[in-house]
Amino acid sequence: RGFSSQSEGEARVTRVLREKFPRASSIRVVDISGGCGAMYEIHIESEDFREKRTVQQHQMVNQALSEEIKSMHGLRIFTSTPKP
Amino acid sequence: MSRVVWAAWRLGVAAVRGPAGRPLSQATTGGAEEGGAEGGGSGSGSREAVERLVRAHPVVVFMKGSPAQPLCGFSSAVVQILRLHGVEDYNAHDVLQDPDLRQGIKNYSNWPTIPQVYLNGEFVGGCDILLQMHQNGDLVEELKKLGIRSALLDAEKDQDKK
Repeated sequence: RGFSSQSEGEARVTRVLREKFPRASSIRVVDISGGCGAMYEIHIESEDFREKRTVQQHQMVNQALSEEIKSMHGLRIFTSTPKP
Repeated sequence: MSRVVWAAWRLGVAAVRGPAGRPLSQATTGGAEEGGAEGGGSGSGSREAVERLVRAHPVVVFMKGSPAQPLCGFSSAVVQILRLHGVEDYNAHDVLQDPDLRQGIKNYSNWPTIPQVYLNGEFVGGCDILLQMHQNGDLVEELKKLGIRSALLDAEKDQDKK
C-alpha cells in the first residue's frame, strides 16, 4: 500500500488518541466515509488495554474521543495489546 | 404480529420516524426529555424504561430497522451473526421508531452508537464486538451461559460424523 497523506479529520483524531494514550504502540485512524469525516475506523494497540474486556477497551476509546464523536455519524474500534 | 410491532405496542409508543443521518452529538448531552413520566414517547428513553427492556429477555438488541428488515449494515450484521448461531428468539427494538429510546439507550450504556447487544441485561457491545466474539468462540460460550445452545455446535457435530 503506497503512502497516502492523512485527511484533516484523521490527523485530528490521531492527535487526540496520541495525547490520551501516550503508551500506545500503534494508532491508525481511517476515514471510511470517503473523506467526509462522518465515519472512522480506529485501530489502536496499547498496554492500557491489557486484562480488560473488549467492551471496556472500547469505552476507553469512546471517552478519549467524546468530543470528536459528537460530530461523527459512526465509528468502528479495533483495540489490541502489544505482543509480550 | 411481528415482535418489534408487539414491543412497540406494549410500550404504547407511537411509531415516529426519526431523521436519518443523525450525528452522534446527542450521545453525550442531556438525557430523555422532561415531562410526562407515564408511558408515551418521552418516558421510553428513561433509565427505568430502558432497564425494563434490557431485562425483559436474555437476548435484547437495539438496532435500526427490524430483524426481518434491518436498515443499517451494522444492525444487519448483528442479526446475521445471531442467526448463524440459531438465535432467532430475541427482543429487537427499532430505535428509528422511537427517538427517545434512541437517545435513552445511548445514555444508559454510555455508548454512542447503534446497534447495541445486551445479554442477560448486560451490555455486551456493538457489531464489531459481536463479530469478534463470534470469531473467537466467546459468543458460543456466552450463549451457553444463557442456556442457549449455539446452532454452530450442532453444525460442527454433523461435520464430525462424515
